[in-house]
Formats: sequence, structure tokens, C-alpha cells
Amino acid sequence: MSEDGSLRVETTGETVGEAKWSALRELERLHPTLDKSAVRFQVVSEGERGLLGVGYAPARVVAVVDEDAIGPPVEESEAAARARELVRRVAEGIGVECRIDVREDDDAVHVLCAGPELGLLIGKHGQTIDAIQYLANASARRGGGEAKDVVVDAAGYRDRRRATLETMAVRSAQQALREGRAELEPMTAIERKIVHLRLKEFPGVETSSEGAEPNRFVVVTSE
Amino acid sequence: MAELVEFLARQLVDEPDEVRVEREERDDVLVLLLHVAPNDVGKVIGRQGRIARALRAVVRAGGVRENRRVQLEIAG
Repeated sequence: MSEDGSLRVETTGETVGEAKWSALRELERLHPTLDKSAVRFQVVSEGERGLLGVGYAPARVVAVVDEDAIGPPVEESEAAARARELVRRVAEGIGVECRIDVREDDDAVHVLCAGPELGLLIGKHGQTIDAIQYLANASARRGGGEAKDVVVDAAGYRDRRRATLETMAVRSAQQALREGRAELEPMTAIERKIVHLRLKEFPGVETSSEGAEPNRFVVVTSE
Repeated sequence: MAELVEFLARQLVDEPDEVRVEREERDDVLVLLLHVAPNDVGKVIGRQGRIARALRAVVRAGGVRENRRVQLEIAG
């Protein structure tokens, strides 16, 4: 954003038309509510077609749009803003650089972290990211109110973890069928639920949980 | 790190103005003493100590970059 409140991007393309097109796309990405008819173009260079790749120069275009045409930013709900701020503060405090995106659907607020080194944010066995998620949920429910679940994810960690848990669940079920009983490692309630659900339709086994938090674990037994 | 603990505690308690974090150096360990209003102690400890455990996990991760051990004590 420049000082007079207008937004400006510079792009290149093989032709002026292509450069304008990619400038529009770039502006739209930055501001989805943009009024496209208000975008003004300045052609910096027509470009040179060149011959056999010699003397080629791309067309260069500057696209400018006034602040008024950008429209209001997409409103974030209070719950989403609160979750975003908590994760942002924790990442900053731990010393992890990350971009934070928040998506909200009917069931949950999803806070997604992206960045070059998220290992510290995830922690051993996901300890740190689970802790952040727990705190975000506690913060959302302060005062005992109803609130959507907050899911905190980094670099696709939750999907990978789910796949691991489901593999472990199936392996334990096979062991239970052979030996009558199998115990999984201690897990959080959310992770235990993934195991229970995976084995719900698995023929010949039943699941339950034993032990006290934080060492509660799933037990698989043959029927 | 102390500021982060203070921020997180304020998110959880009923009396955010009463939240205070003291820093104490003990040998090579940085100890953060979290003070909250008497009625809020349970809120920063949580059911079965789960909030306190989550706060400690975050504090531990915060010590990694600074290459030092950080401990959190709830002083009430």
C-alpha cells in the first residue's frame, strides 16, 4: 500500500495483455473484494518479441487501484480473531516465524501455520502444538461459554498424525485378534477418538480407554 | 517469555488485571512465577492440571531458541 492509500503492483508478461492479466490476478489475490473496473494500468514497456530468443524483453505493466475500490477486508469472527492472536503470540514468544491463516466452518475454527521451520512449534510427538491447541480452546471457553472447537495445525501435521494413528490402530487390532489384547501408547482425547473411530467397523475387535490423564490409552480387545 | 505467559494467563482468568509474572534466576534455570487472583488459581491449573501442563509445554519450547531451561511455577 503506498502513501496515498492506493495499491500498486508491477507485473510482466509476453505481451501487454498478459502482463495486465497477471496484474489483475495479483490484485485479486491480495484483495478478493476488489472492484476490477477501478484498476488503472500504466504500460511501462511494450516489450520486444525478439528473434529466436535474442533481444526478447517482457512487456511491463503497473496496475494501480484506489483504496476506496478495494472494499472492506473480509471480517473475521471474534472467535477466529482471538484464536489467531493467541497462536501469533505463542509463535512469536517461542521464536518461530510463520504465516497464520484462519478458516472457520460450522464445526471449528482452524488456525493454520505455514513457514520454513515449524518443528519447534509442533514439538516432540506434537506436544507443543497440542498444548497451544488446548490453551486456544480454554481461552475460547473462558467463563464457561459455548464455543466452537479450535484446531491448531502446522505444515499439515494433523493429517500426518491422523495417518500414523490409523496405521497404529489397525496394527493393534491385528495384534488383538492374535493375542486377545493390545495397548496403544498414551494419547490425548482427540487422538484416542481417531483410534476408536478407525476401529469401530473393524471386524472382531472392541476398543476402550484405560488409565488416568495424561497417560490414558486405548485398549483393543478381541470380541 | 514472561510476557507470553502473562498474555496466556490473562486469556484464561476472570481477573486479568491481577495476573503478574515474576522472573527468578536459579542457577542456570529461568523460573517464571505466575501470580493470579486467588479465585483464578484453578483456571491456570485446569482439570487434572492440564492447563498448567500446556503452559509448561509452551514455556519449555520457548527456552529452546534461547538455549536455556525455563520453568513455570504457579505461585497463586
